[in-house]
Amino acid sequence: MSDPTRVGVFVCDCGSNIAGVVDVPAVVRYAAGLEHVVFVDEGRWSCSVDALARMQRIIREQALNRVVVAACTPRTHEPLFKATVKEAGLNPYLLEFVSIREQVSWVHMHERDAATWKAQELVRMGVAKAVLLEEGAEIRLPVGTTCLVIGGGMAGMTAALHVADQGFGAVLVEKAPALGGLLSRISTVIHGRREVPATELVRAAAARIEAHPGIRVFTGAEIESLGGYVGNYQLAVRAGGVSERIDAATVIVATGMREIDAAGHFRHGEDPRVVTQLELEERLRRGDRLDGVEDVVIVQCVGSRNETRGCCAIGCAVAVKNALRLAADGAGRRVHLLYRDLSLVKDEHLHLEDARQAGVRFLRFPDDRYPELLETEGKLAVRVHDLLLDRDLELAADLLVLTTAYRGDDSVDRLKGLLKVSANADGFFQEAHVKLGPLDFPAEGIALGGCAKSPKFLRDSLEEGMGAAMRVSIPMKRGYVEAAGIVAELDLEDCENCGLCAKQCPYGAIQLSDQREPSLLQALCKGCGLCAADCPMECISIVHYSDAQLAAQVDAALAERPAEKIVGFVCHWCALGGVDMAGVSRLQYPPHARLIRVMCSARVPIRLVERAFERGAAGVLVAGCEFPTCHYITGNYACDKRMERARKKLAKKGYDPARLWTLWCSAADGPKFAGAMREMVRALGLPAHNGSAASSTAGRAS
Amino acid sequence: MEAPPDSRAPILVIGAGIAGITCALNAADYGAAVLLVDDTPSIGGLMARLDKTFPTNDCSICIEAPRMYEVGNHPNIEILANTTVKKANRKNGRFAVRLVTRPRYVDPEKCTGCGACIDACPVRVPDELDGKIGGTRKLIYMPFPQAVPNVVLIDPRCRSGAMRAQGACVGGCVVDCSQCRECPIALCVKACQKEGKDAIRLWQAATSRNIEVSAIVVATGVMDVRPSRGLHGYDLYPNVITYTQFERLMNAGGPTAGRIVRPSDGRPAHKIAWLQCAGRGLAGGIPYCSKVCCMVATKQTLITKEHDAAVETVVFLNDLKACGKGFWAFHEKARAAGVRHVKARPYDVVEDPATRNLVLRYEDLETGELATEEAELVVLSTGLKASDRNEGLARTLGLELDEHGFFREPDPLAAPLETAVAGIYLCGGATGPIDIAEAVVQGSAAALKAVLCGSRKEHACPTRPA
Repeated sequence: MSDPTRVGVFVCDCGSNIAGVVDVPAVVRYAAGLEHVVFVDEGRWSCSVDALARMQRIIREQALNRVVVAACTPRTHEPLFKATVKEAGLNPYLLEFVSIREQVSWVHMHERDAATWKAQELVRMGVAKAVLLEEGAEIRLPVGTTCLVIGGGMAGMTAALHVADQGFGAVLVEKAPALGGLLSRISTVIHGRREVPATELVRAAAARIEAHPGIRVFTGAEIESLGGYVGNYQLAVRAGGVSERIDAATVIVATGMREIDAAGHFRHGEDPRVVTQLELEERLRRGDRLDGVEDVVIVQCVGSRNETRGCCAIGCAVAVKNALRLAADGAGRRVHLLYRDLSLVKDEHLHLEDARQAGVRFLRFPDDRYPELLETEGKLAVRVHDLLLDRDLELAADLLVLTTAYRGDDSVDRLKGLLKVSANADGFFQEAHVKLGPLDFPAEGIALGGCAKSPKFLRDSLEEGMGAAMRVSIPMKRGYVEAAGIVAELDLEDCENCGLCAKQCPYGAIQLSDQREPSLLQALCKGCGLCAADCPMECISIVHYSDAQLAAQVDAALAERPAEKIVGFVCHWCALGGVDMAGVSRLQYPPHARLIRVMCSARVPIRLVERAFERGAAGVLVAGCEFPTCHYITGNYACDKRMERARKKLAKKGYDPARLWTLWCSAADGPKFAGAMREMVRALGLPAHNGSAASSTAGRAS
Repeated sequence: MEAPPDSRAPILVIGAGIAGITCALNAADYGAAVLLVDDTPSIGGLMARLDKTFPTNDCSICIEAPRMYEVGNHPNIEILANTTVKKANRKNGRFAVRLVTRPRYVDPEKCTGCGACIDACPVRVPDELDGKIGGTRKLIYMPFPQAVPNVVLIDPRCRSGAMRAQGACVGGCVVDCSQCRECPIALCVKACQKEGKDAIRLWQAATSRNIEVSAIVVATGVMDVRPSRGLHGYDLYPNVITYTQFERLMNAGGPTAGRIVRPSDGRPAHKIAWLQCAGRGLAGGIPYCSKVCCMVATKQTLITKEHDAAVETVVFLNDLKACGKGFWAFHEKARAAGVRHVKARPYDVVEDPATRNLVLRYEDLETGELATEEAELVVLSTGLKASDRNEGLARTLGLELDEHGFFREPDPLAAPLETAVAGIYLCGGATGPIDIAEAVVQGSAAALKAVLCGSRKEHACPTRPA
């Protein structure tokens, strides 16, 4: 026999912030009448040190095994209360947080009765869920200390060195016969007015790598097979005619980039006088003095800044560097640089000034009129429309240099499949988040850096190599990755092996066996619930947000006067952030909604929406992060599509699909949420005045 | 998420913008103890004040606030807001630092951020960042709603009596606030006590703390350049504002709740002009390209069009900098939305006194001709400059600044983010103008440098590879 459920409810006054609007003693009395509730406490400030100590004492004295806190907002205060109940010896997953300040007293300041009733109902919903809560625990997956670095360019070498300098093992795999990547093909690197031979930098890094006892290097290597996940990657690599199998805990992808195939542009490939920047670099690096070349024309943006491809990001600085070199080497050359926009940032303009001084002529041409190649009597020339003079010029060209676009390495297509990550049309890997996850893939333990992500300069590649090393070192230093207890659970009894869950999981946490049987790596699961909501056989549940718990909240919300109510599902991140912002801003809106928190809007299954309508709800709101933000990559997009399907299903069942609303709201957008509430109430034709003190049926007077 | 706290001396991260936050979280997740100091009352930095981020238009605070809460709750991180570094002496391979925390005049242990005191305060003053566009705050205030720590603070001018004329309730006593342990007159004190709290401490003084740290990461960030008076009519005409002020104007959490209105009359602006590279190369301006302004303007025009597609938007620019992943497509999206781009060199801006509209005269760089354009609101993209904290901090830490006031790296091509002092590293805007993603990369990289340094037993930090 397990312990009988003993729920304690702690209602906070927040000084007058809650108690000034909500009749807190009435909420306390109401809560005391709810089933399984054995103790209710009113606190002036539940988060104060003395109140927390009191809560812990009560938990022990009353032998509580569930705690409901009705106070401000879980977004700021849940960690505090979780830590408190944990110290009192209770599993922190047995805590449920009810928001009666941001969702009640601050937004219904002039409707005391309705506010009190809403607070009571929110507590009822919280208790209904709390009764069904189960213990949870953080889940750990052990992680070893070997990192596989794919790509031996400067980013990869830097990453390997920084991994190995911590005492971890690094395995560096490079497909070319020598380390160095792109940098080993170019002549010099500039920074400010400093110019350094690239060979020096490559040699220095490669020498450190080769001397480092913690780094194994495979050059001329072919990856025969690769797979796995953090803590458990397996690689088969073939180098020097020998195959070897290697286990690694983490992976850094630094496969670099290459120039696009310039064939077809300005007769590149047919005429040796037409070269790309990289080909020019290689000639300069070999010490080619370009004898006989008197007229040089450099054309920018070849294959870039068009419908299919963006700015190459580095071409302007490269072109200015090389133009200066060709103009200033004493050979008396005429150098023309034809451009659309000069993308020179920070100190790069210093080189521009030097190039102008050295006689390089810069001509701007229009976005829609590219220069043309002419050939008369065996001599090459370029016809360009000079924007400033507004006329066409013909420029002789003994050497025509094309500043081309770049694309990811040819290995990307295969690697992205093996590593279960994505890349864009140009073969550049896609990072987890453009701003805040620039070195990460969605799954933990695998990072990226350097030109494999997008074209960049040397110092940026070095920084990314170091940063990527840090990202994979965190789990290696700890020895594990850990998931919060809010994770999926699979019950495969009814599973039909459709594979949808594995296909949809943004974190690669669900793997399919050869028989297409799914299995879950809980430590990789982030608990978004996308799989659970879409599983056609309902085989997946989410700890702390199970179907039963969410259904209990829906039922509790609609137990009384359902036709006046809106059931809202809000994601923990932005949607609840918007709700809280409306609260902080004291935006007043009608009190008809009963909000249920989910981690991601993708958790909300159609069946739960239907349940709300079956129980008589006037309307249902599903709210998630504003596009394109989602804290689980693309959960809101999945939810949006699913709710479209839900509308069709509802219509078939005879419910007006217009009663299901979706809202995509940023955490800063209080006005948007408050506005949506007003609009919904109006559109659903709900009575303006909603609520009275709770009816006596639910409460058992005590 | 707990990792065993490192028994070694903590790492000091100076500056808690997104670079410093990222650095602190990486180092703390790694297991190191971190002291994160910022000389403003909240962590978050410039990013916390932005509306959206390019090139995806993600809401800035939506993605940053969870990181801020994570910092606030991390067992390995201690936040010291309102704090400056006064001394840092090398000692046995470590740094003995002195940290001075300015008073908030509020006990952070007792304040719950409820805001009752703010309601009670009788004086409203222009907000530091938003004043120009009508943003105000009280003399006791929360820096912004998502502030970490979520604790109010009192404007020191209030206590000193400087705000008496504006109606401040304190500051006119015979003895000054530092002498009293009780205040019978301050309305904020009464409001706080009425809430059952007694968090306000008008007599609070600065506190200092001496501590040994194993490594230091400088993350002082960038600042937007304030135009000099008269630049394109700035400070002469109310409807000429900066790009950071415009950012606040379009922010749902800003002073106008996201309504893009003119400061002169509060009416929606129907035609808005952006002047890129404003003040660049002029006295008071910066000589270099800040790299982000083109995309900031692209973002701002797009959001303006999203608010109201009928608003006319025109960007006067020199060279378009779209050098980043997805930036060009972002620019094309703006063009498709009807944003006009004119390659131009602006001459002057004159106000029409009747309408308070602004007439811009410029040289069209594609035709070479002089032209004019009228707009209802003019936005100056003035760029990013080095933090004004850098000079003092460089002296304290024994570091050098470059000619623009950013921290100098002796060998950026072989050892980026390192300084001339072993054990002191850089990240984010301390190194130069930078966007958020690059600041995050550098934050992770500098964290690794710092933990590697902190773990050396021989008390010698590695500098450049030999």
